[in-house]
Amino acid sequence: MHHGLARGAEGVHVVNVLWYLSRATGVISMVLMTAVLVLGLFLSGARRSVGARSTTIQAVHRSLSLGMLTFLVVHIVSAIIDTYVHIGVPAAVLPFTSSYSRLDVGLGTVGSDLLAAIVVTSVLRHRISESVWRLVHRASFAMWPVTLWHSIALSTGTDPVLRYTTIGCGVIGVAAVLWRLAGSHHDSARRREVLRQEWT
Amino acid sequence: MNLIGLLEEAGLSGRGGAAFPTDMKIRAAIEHHADLIVNACDGEIGTHKDALVVEQHLDELLYGAGLVARSVHWAAHRGSDTEARLLAAGLPVLSVPARYVASEESALVNHLHGGLARPVMRWAPIVFGSRTAKGRRLPPTLVLNAETVWRIGQIERYGPGWFRSHGTPNEPGPRLVTIGGSVERPGVYDTAAGTPLADLLHAAGAVDVGAVGLSGLSGGWLAGSTAWRATWSDAGLAAYGLRTGTGAIHVLDRATCPLDHVARLTGFAAGESAGQCGPCMFGVPAVAEQLGRLVGGTLQPGELQLLQQRLRLLPGRGACRFPDGVAGFVTSALLVFEADVRAHVTGLCVASREWSGAAR
Repeated sequence: MHHGLARGAEGVHVVNVLWYLSRATGVISMVLMTAVLVLGLFLSGARRSVGARSTTIQAVHRSLSLGMLTFLVVHIVSAIIDTYVHIGVPAAVLPFTSSYSRLDVGLGTVGSDLLAAIVVTSVLRHRISESVWRLVHRASFAMWPVTLWHSIALSTGTDPVLRYTTIGCGVIGVAAVLWRLAGSHHDSARRREVLRQEWT
Repeated sequence: MNLIGLLEEAGLSGRGGAAFPTDMKIRAAIEHHADLIVNACDGEIGTHKDALVVEQHLDELLYGAGLVARSVHWAAHRGSDTEARLLAAGLPVLSVPARYVASEESALVNHLHGGLARPVMRWAPIVFGSRTAKGRRLPPTLVLNAETVWRIGQIERYGPGWFRSHGTPNEPGPRLVTIGGSVERPGVYDTAAGTPLADLLHAAGAVDVGAVGLSGLSGGWLAGSTAWRATWSDAGLAAYGLRTGTGAIHVLDRATCPLDHVARLTGFAAGESAGQCGPCMFGVPAVAEQLGRLVGGTLQPGELQLLQQRLRLLPGRGACRFPDGVAGFVTSALLVFEADVRAHVTGLCVASREWSGAAR
């Protein structure tokens, strides 16, 4: 059993709370991140914009990503405090330094580091160059699969709710990515067409 | 007196079409330590004046450029005679793809600094330094039309008094115009603002004048009857909503359907978009498509309103003024050739009816 219940009787309560808290906030972060991804893909790939719809979606996209931050911070902090497996502060910042599940925890760290970079650059958006902001924001596409792996690998098999939720996130996210890639948007199609002409 | 003072006194304005006071541009260039690009592309449809300046006045042109900046780049359309002449003179040539928007000020600056020859969004005058859509900085660069640079040298040599002895007090100085289309002697002519357009038409040997296009794709149209009594100056043309602009003068004879000519040029414009701004990427082609159907006789009368609506949506919404120019060009045509528009909507081309053998 991977479970906190295996611990000595005196530690059970606290360990349990932290364990469940970490798992719950982890899976909620995953769900929110997927929602943010899907909304972002929909925004950039929308075949046509209808009235205020894209503005609304943009606002939800931003709010959900900020909301996700809260859950993610709780997830990381509770994972560090939880004593069942040892994940120190360094491992929560530096990828692949955890003694426990080096790869799987490390991927989660990569994900949260990318997120921190995105948050910082978004806060400083008006002070840094557009290209730097764009580059870092694009890294959020790497954040999602990395976090998904981390989630599936570490969500315990005895808890199907966690695993199936995570797998569901994966299916929905992949479908959204495929929808985005498949769509021929008349704007980008025309841009590409013009770029093939002589401009140098 | 220093150069800027001379130019200010002479009242020289840019000969590339925008007619911005040259002394102000050069003052800003000096403050920002800008390099100079001399634009000899003749990018406007129907202009050949920069080619003439390079061909016949290269020494004076070099002299003028030397007064303005130490580091000078010479922009010319790729494959043109102008490019060959500049290269033969051993000058650093910026070889520009031969297309309409590529010789726009910011497109030249972008191209000089390793980017594509596409216009850049301007947050401030380009001479202050600019930034591409991707955030790359473009150093301060002054772009002057070749004729403007030639005039700078002339003003320094012959003085503002000589310069002001041509033209009108508000639009002083000699000007080059390119006259083409249905004329016996097409070419570049020396003139000045305030000249009767009839004099220019006579000089070029225009006899049968159905309509006159001014300033190419960035200008508009005069009906033939109006053209004979109009004065060629910004003040004189303001009554018709036109400007001298790039100095292109295109004569259409009465046998030519003006709408067919306008539709062709608009179709060309639709293919010239740099693919960056919506009004240019989609608006100009949409207008061109409607004009094509108007000429073909398949445009429904109700669609004219949509065409006008689209034309109103084009100006002021692009990085450069290309869509503004095309919108003005087409709007002016629809106004001046209203009778032709009505005839085409009802399925009959006035020009072809009047001039076909059966009708006469």
